Amino acid sequence: MGNCCSDEAGGRTAVGGTAASMGNLNNAPNDAVGHFLKSRGHALFSQIELSYSASDLRDRDVLSKSDPMVIVYTKGRDGVLEELGRTEVVLNSLNPKWITKHTITYQFHIVQTLVFHVYDVDTQFHNVDVKMLKLEEQQFLGEGSGVLSQIITKSDRSLTLDLVHREESMGSNRARNLGKLTVHAEECISSKTTMEMIFRCSDLESKDLFSRSGPFLVISKVVESGIQIPVCKTEVIKGDLKPTWKPVFLNIQQVGSKDNPLVIECFNFNSSGKHDLIGEVRKSLADLEKLHSSGQGENLFLPTSVGHNYQNKVLKSQLFVDKFSQSTKHSFLDYLAGGCEMNFMVAIDFTASNGNPRLPDSLHYIDHSGRLNAYQRAIVEVGEVLQFYDSDKRFPAWGFGARPIDGPVSHCFNLNGSSHHSEVEGIQGIMMAYTSALLNVSLAGPTLFGPVISNAALIASHSLANSGRKYFVLLIITDGVVTDLQETKDALVKASDLPLSILIVGVGGADFKEMEILDADKGERLESSTGRVASRDIVQFVPFRDVQSGEISVVQALLAELPTQFLTYMRTREIQPIS
Amino acid sequence: MESTSRTLEVTVISGENLRTNRKPVKKNAFVVIQTDSNKVCTTKMDADGGSYPSWNEKLVVDVPMHERFITVEVQCKTSGGNKTVGVARIPISDFVGGHVPQSYLHFLSYRLRDNKGERNGIINISVKAKVPEYASCSGTGMGVPLGDNNFGGVVTGIPIWCTNTGRF
Repeated sequence: MGNCCSDEAGGRTAVGGTAASMGNLNNAPNDAVGHFLKSRGHALFSQIELSYSASDLRDRDVLSKSDPMVIVYTKGRDGVLEELGRTEVVLNSLNPKWITKHTITYQFHIVQTLVFHVYDVDTQFHNVDVKMLKLEEQQFLGEGSGVLSQIITKSDRSLTLDLVHREESMGSNRARNLGKLTVHAEECISSKTTMEMIFRCSDLESKDLFSRSGPFLVISKVVESGIQIPVCKTEVIKGDLKPTWKPVFLNIQQVGSKDNPLVIECFNFNSSGKHDLIGEVRKSLADLEKLHSSGQGENLFLPTSVGHNYQNKVLKSQLFVDKFSQSTKHSFLDYLAGGCEMNFMVAIDFTASNGNPRLPDSLHYIDHSGRLNAYQRAIVEVGEVLQFYDSDKRFPAWGFGARPIDGPVSHCFNLNGSSHHSEVEGIQGIMMAYTSALLNVSLAGPTLFGPVISNAALIASHSLANSGRKYFVLLIITDGVVTDLQETKDALVKASDLPLSILIVGVGGADFKEMEILDADKGERLESSTGRVASRDIVQFVPFRDVQSGEISVVQALLAELPTQFLTYMRTREIQPIS
Repeated sequence: MESTSRTLEVTVISGENLRTNRKPVKKNAFVVIQTDSNKVCTTKMDADGGSYPSWNEKLVVDVPMHERFITVEVQCKTSGGNKTVGVARIPISDFVGGHVPQSYLHFLSYRLRDNKGERNGIINISVKAKVPEYASCSGTGMGVPLGDNNFGGVVTGIPIWCTNTGRF
């Protein structure tokens, strides 16, 4: 066990999704933990605290100034508002600073639209709990909306919105000044604080008479109902009755708080999967810190039940904490606020297997009623998330596998028809370039990825050469199995050393089994024809089937791993965010 | 001033799934880096890492300008002497030339092959070319690509880079 599931590349590849596992990157691998975290997916979630202030609000009170309150809503994909919370009422102020803050979980792969309503709360309601206020009895001062990723990518993490009238009263073109609302987002410190601990046991009893024992630790948190939820696990050390394990990394967010009780169990590894409990210790992180500073050991005990009585048999074996250090790592959001960007690029498959674009059964059919085809949907769904991380919103866009205006087949042509530049303006620019390209090229083949990946890698290299602090994301949308599998692998292996991630979305009904080879999550590390191996996983593949509206699509779920890939790149190179 | 060799800082990070005679390496693996002119640098042994050793040791290697490869060899100390586990021959062009800055820190992994040419484990290294001071301030570090830098000889035909540089 232990190493058998590792692809850690010397601790260089991320071993999981939470910020905690990131603590691992520059240190020795912690593969057992990695395996555990892998089984839980990679998404990055971060707790964000929102605070609010306003200026130049309208004065609606006759004798005094307005008494403003903010209500925050999250807006779903279906446009429905859901209340996140209300602030307190600030008395007599047109430039209020509210004290109440709201916490929201930031999710990279979702566009999280927030809507803010500001009300003047009438004096007669001042004794009423804000949650009980009837909004129709209050004076509306204005509203504003913004996207969470827009706020957190600002260097000061503050977004100032011009307050406007309610949508229904927008008909009049009176551009009256309703004041401004400033929303500030701060990442909760617990998302970033990581503990590094080295555990050691003494005097473990050898349970296995016939084979050597292999002790390992499992650390679990205890939730309110008393259930134990494992959060990490060490490697197995064979044949050692006084083992010292590799460092364990725990994030405060993973365990709740430093005072939450943890159960540390010591097991003897059994290849049947039925590991024998040697003994356990119950301690919070704060207790473990004390244990470390005292240098003392804590006796393990073995819970045993005798009839209805639970008795703990105290063992001779002891647990020691040889190292306890607390550190704060730069988070994904720190890098964004420090001016790092994620730049979006797209490459579209124009091979003949897509079918004649003029016919409705083609994957490239443009429905003029506005219904998007699979290519358009993939562009929109990935683009609408990533655009907020790209300040100039100029996206390189290519096509491959077609003949542009009677030329030979090109495996990387500019979607906008230009022979000089590949960039288009915004998501709308990609959509327009795509539809016009369909009219101007004739579909051909075969399906080669090598050239578009190489071009994306070239852009990433040039950005580095110009000391850019950018990370690139190439979206390849394709209907078929790649013809140049080895060339694609070669290009991907080279690109794994660059600030680049590649998302491949398969559309249509083809069998995409071969594509899964490219996604290292699902198999071995990619190897080039010269024997070079990808130094990290940069590819994700997903087949794009019909998606229910209102749900997070598979394509957006695909984005969830990007922050981890971004952080792996930045942290292994010890690139610091500029603060 | 023309220098006759380039200085590489090679950090030997770790090995994965190392085997000798189809069995996992038990202990005492170490790495030897060699230039074609037979300059040799060696890491310490990893006594505990078994078939997944980690060294995290930085070696400074001087490679004559005309040489195009370095050889990274994993060996293992046994009672019967030092045994070769596997070798990777690494083209200098993987980290010199190309379009990234000269002093870029490359993270690279290679498949090892044993004496019979059979696939063995993987070696993970990082490489940084030491840039002479007079050249370090030259900015872009646009080098001439060394050796075969193309991808299977596919012609892309679009001079993307000269139009895109203005963007960054």
